[in-house]
Amino acid sequence: MKKLAILSTLLVVSTALAASPKDTLVYQWSSDIPTLDPAATYDTGSGAIVENLYETLLTYKGASISQLEGLLATKWTVSNAGKTYTFDLRKNVKFHSGNAMTCADAEYSFERMLVTNEGSSANYILAESLQGTGANANDDKTITWARIDRAVECNAAGQLVFTLPKTDPTFLARLAYTGFAVVDSKYAIGLGEWSGKEADWKAWVAKDLTNSKLDKAPSGTGAFKFVREDANAFLATAFDGYWGKKPAIKNVIFQRVDEPAARQQAFLRGDADIIEGSGRATDTAQLKGKPGVAWVDDLPNVVAQALFMNQNITDKGTLGSGKLDGRGIPANFFSDVNVRRAFSYAFNYQQYITDFQKGAGKQRTTLMPETFPGYDAKVKKYTYNRAQATAYFKKAWGGQVWKNGFTLTAFYRDGSASAQTIAEILKREVEAINPKFKVNVAAKQWSEMVASGNEGKNPLISIGWAPDFADADNFMYTFYSSNGYYAKRSSWKDASVDKWLEQTRTTTNTAERNRLYSLVANRAYEQASHILIPAGVNYSFFRDSIVGAGKANYNPMISFTLGTYWKELSKK
Amino acid sequence: MFNFIVRRLLQIPVVMLVLSLMIVGLTQLLTPEQRAAPYIRTEQQAARIEQIIEARGLRESFPVQYGRWLSSTLQGDLGYSRASGDDVIDTIKERLPATVELTILTAIPIMLIGIWLGTLGALHKDKFLDQLIRVFVVFGYSLPTFVLGILLLAVFYAYFNILPGAGQVSVLNQFALSDLRRYTGMLSIDAMLNGRWDIAWDVIRHMILPALTLITVLSAQIVKVMRNNMLEALTSDYVRTARAKGLSDRVVNGKHARRNALLSIITLAGFLIIGLLGGSLITETIFAYPGVGQWVVQAALQTDLAAVLGFAMMSAVVVVVVSTIVDILYGVVDPRVRFD
Repeated sequence: MKKLAILSTLLVVSTALAASPKDTLVYQWSSDIPTLDPAATYDTGSGAIVENLYETLLTYKGASISQLEGLLATKWTVSNAGKTYTFDLRKNVKFHSGNAMTCADAEYSFERMLVTNEGSSANYILAESLQGTGANANDDKTITWARIDRAVECNAAGQLVFTLPKTDPTFLARLAYTGFAVVDSKYAIGLGEWSGKEADWKAWVAKDLTNSKLDKAPSGTGAFKFVREDANAFLATAFDGYWGKKPAIKNVIFQRVDEPAARQQAFLRGDADIIEGSGRATDTAQLKGKPGVAWVDDLPNVVAQALFMNQNITDKGTLGSGKLDGRGIPANFFSDVNVRRAFSYAFNYQQYITDFQKGAGKQRTTLMPETFPGYDAKVKKYTYNRAQATAYFKKAWGGQVWKNGFTLTAFYRDGSASAQTIAEILKREVEAINPKFKVNVAAKQWSEMVASGNEGKNPLISIGWAPDFADADNFMYTFYSSNGYYAKRSSWKDASVDKWLEQTRTTTNTAERNRLYSLVANRAYEQASHILIPAGVNYSFFRDSIVGAGKANYNPMISFTLGTYWKELSKK
Repeated sequence: MFNFIVRRLLQIPVVMLVLSLMIVGLTQLLTPEQRAAPYIRTEQQAARIEQIIEARGLRESFPVQYGRWLSSTLQGDLGYSRASGDDVIDTIKERLPATVELTILTAIPIMLIGIWLGTLGALHKDKFLDQLIRVFVVFGYSLPTFVLGILLLAVFYAYFNILPGAGQVSVLNQFALSDLRRYTGMLSIDAMLNGRWDIAWDVIRHMILPALTLITVLSAQIVKVMRNNMLEALTSDYVRTARAKGLSDRVVNGKHARRNALLSIITLAGFLIIGLLGGSLITETIFAYPGVGQWVVQAALQTDLAAVLGFAMMSAVVVVVVSTIVDILYGVVDPRVRFD
């Protein structure tokens, strides 16, 4: 008994010491960290770390996503009809290695991104602006060393100069992307990364940098520097040589804990300051209102989601009979605007908000976040209206749809509860309108969704898009242009919309761009191009000992779950 | 004996070759897009799927793809694991010692408890003690590790607060690990070798709950088999003869009956250790224990081909080595099956 008492005391004492210390930020989540090399960063798991170890030329001003401010750049000028950008770089900036940051580092960093530009990286976003194409030198033989070298250079005054092939109003917003950060060129070359010279550039084209030498041993200019990483933990510490204000938090630990119940227990006990949540319903029930838990709601959501009605279905296997005889649909079934309007009125938006989003959702007018510049709240939106849906179904295909009915398949991504709910709500509502209407719901693996989507095979699918940079173009062109990434999924082509969207890419006049985006939005409403899925309202929670997190500081373009950099946080 | 061991070890490359052919062959049933899936995490990356497929030659024929894998494997490069964000070889080097550590901590108690309770149950057949042991067996058999693991966390970590939660070391010790010189890769042992007894104790405390989960669930089978074997041995002729010769119960039960009953337990122990070294998938995941099991779960979920192949290769080595040891032990326990 005595032995047991001693053992218990020892256990209790050592456990009591384990709680998260005041100068240490402990975050538990389920994701791994794919890379710490900025040039390969293209996911939130990596971005949440990289944005604190490295710095970009520009960043978002506080919680704003429309205003940019200098980070490693102090000022910039635009000349040559919007084709030349000249940046003054911050002085007295040191890398974690101790090397001083110079313009040569910035030039090396951007050239490295353009040279490698590997498929799964975000570097094509930069290449689109600087090379006029997202392709790398392997895919596009016109990409030469001379073109890459010319795109980004240091002038005699030590300024960084970008030369674009054509005007690009989105360029500054693109530069704020986490991955487009400045790396320590001397250090990187010393590790065995690309030499920065023409001699070996070809060998680095399309090279996957996910597991690069810089991934293993990063050196940036950020407020935090890498300490070590193992299978389940990432550690960083405040960088003493940081040019800016010294962070209040000294240590940051990311612990990988896959099991949500284990994360919740650690959070409620205060062993973790922040954890990855398990969805609004669970988090509300398990964590909201509990002692020591701070809950922030009504945060902006920057993901847009839509149900795509494909007007040119290329997979005959999904068409059934392929005719309007009740047993299938023709490949161009959705090309009749009446069908699209009928489906748009048939979707029960409020039911989705109530049941799936637990009341925390709102309808948008356009397929872009309402917080983005260019969003027009005045554009009309479809509401659930069975009478209107019936009327349009009766008009569709000269009455054939109503008379004969149809059978079609709505696909959703396997494992996506949201996409499955959307498909099932649509099925129930459409089938209730006319017993001859039949909507089958089927799951597809993500890879299959991507492949079949790229080939225009799916009749009806729901997909979302999260922004790479805070410009309307990233959403509007993606969803609505017949040259956009999602074009094959809807096969919607509208000459006016295409023209307006191209115009937005050649003017830097914000008011004019906003006007054009309103025109696109109105036209898309009128033509019922997509069914717009209500956007969920974001929320965040953390231990109430954390200072500096909250609605006023939350920027949805920052990867970290609190929407702010670690350097902005402290603990009381 | 030496020849036997060499023969067994020579089997390893053959087993690996066949396994790799099977696994790479099976993956050919997947589309190039499915094989490119591990490289995709977002819709944005999905937009670049053709470039990903092209760069990795995922549309090439089976012989070309297998040849590429074999050639790099023969040069000691098992590829890059998307699930761990590291090279497969480095991932195994980092994670296997952690799994071995957990295996050592669990396998010995599992065997001792299993043999002890199984023997006790047989010796007290149908009495209260036997009934109690049978309840434990049913408990261990029917309780999934993910339920028991979470239950133990809720009780000992969240409610009583006497044991740590998920992970391998506490936050305070995380930074101290950077200064630790690694000898074996097994953190508790390395910490002891560095004279950091506080870290060693911390690591051991973090292993208590995962070990307890595994011991409860996995010893049930040993108890059951041991009890049956003992019952069979106790009613056999040679035990009756031994008793007739006037030997004490202790000698008859312990030396005659139990020694024979242990034979099939050795085989089971082999499987148990192979299973534990292959990673306790669910337990490692729940307790965020950085072993190979946690890795392979992620790898399978992400169709991480390099990781799955690397894990299969590692398992092949473990199976051949452990079964060789089991065969040798068999010879030690039962002189009839000795190899010399």
